[in-house]
Amino acid sequence: MQLAATQRTPLIEISATNCRIVGECYPENIQEFSSPVMTELKGAVPDSGEYKVELELFYFNSSSAKFFFDFFEFFEEKAEAGVSVSVNWNYRADDDTMLEAGEDFAEDMIQCKFELVEMPSEAGADAEGE
Amino acid sequence: MVSDATLELHKFMQARKTLFCYSGPLSEDLLTSISNPVRHQLSETDSTDGVAKKVFGVFIEQAQNIIRYADTRSTATGDGVGTIAISLTDEGFLIEAVNTIDSEKSNALEKSLVDLSMKDATELRKMYKERLRSGPPEGSKGAGLGFIEMARRVQRFEFEIAETEKGPVFVYRGYVA
Repeated sequence: MQLAATQRTPLIEISATNCRIVGECYPENIQEFSSPVMTELKGAVPDSGEYKVELELFYFNSSSAKFFFDFFEFFEEKAEAGVSVSVNWNYRADDDTMLEAGEDFAEDMIQCKFELVEMPSEAGADAEGE
Repeated sequence: MVSDATLELHKFMQARKTLFCYSGPLSEDLLTSISNPVRHQLSETDSTDGVAKKVFGVFIEQAQNIIRYADTRSTATGDGVGTIAISLTDEGFLIEAVNTIDSEKSNALEKSLVDLSMKDATELRKMYKERLRSGPPEGSKGAGLGFIEMARRVQRFEFEIAETEKGPVFVYRGYVA
């Protein structure tokens, strides 16, 4: 599955070995957005082997928080069933909101390897590009 | 002068340093359209990205509250009617929202907001996680997390439920710095 980012939804890539979500998430209708993603994950993620999850979120609203909760719960169940799941939660250095969100989710991840990865701040990234 | 009231409106908005204000029926489509101008306005201020993001987050939650719960609906489209604004104050950004609410839900809203206003950051975080696990309460059209999320992002918030002839009007003021 490959979903391009829109103004209110992130880029989503799901394969048999990786899942990547990058961008912002505050869809008009969270159910319409999340159902196909969860269905795809259930079909794509195998029952054994290694699986990598890469997240790079800049903003998500409170309605989307439930989607991410279900998303991580799904991977915890997969990890319990024997998949070696590693999650990278990427956040920008000056973004304490996304750092806190990552810490909140990390607390519930027992079976998955969950890492908070600091990236250069947006200002820093802009400066590098100039 | 014919234009006095218009000029006063301009002066009033400039004097209170309102960066953005919308009053009327609000839909998800409209929210999509105004998101970028709101962000642009925030980026013009000398706030950090972290603060701008918090302001934007509170703005989105408030806008969606109007969309979902405003008791006054547009007769043409059914969209929730309310007012939402972002202004600069000595205490940082002020995000204001006003909308009528269902009189039967007024007491429950007041109780939960009084409860939220007394919680510190650690308690709010705990509450947020518990709500995430338990799922939305009855009557919620989202995750039931909006007011907790806002309380976590603001320095402080004030609210009032004013009785008017059109029913209760809910006023929310959140400060982000």
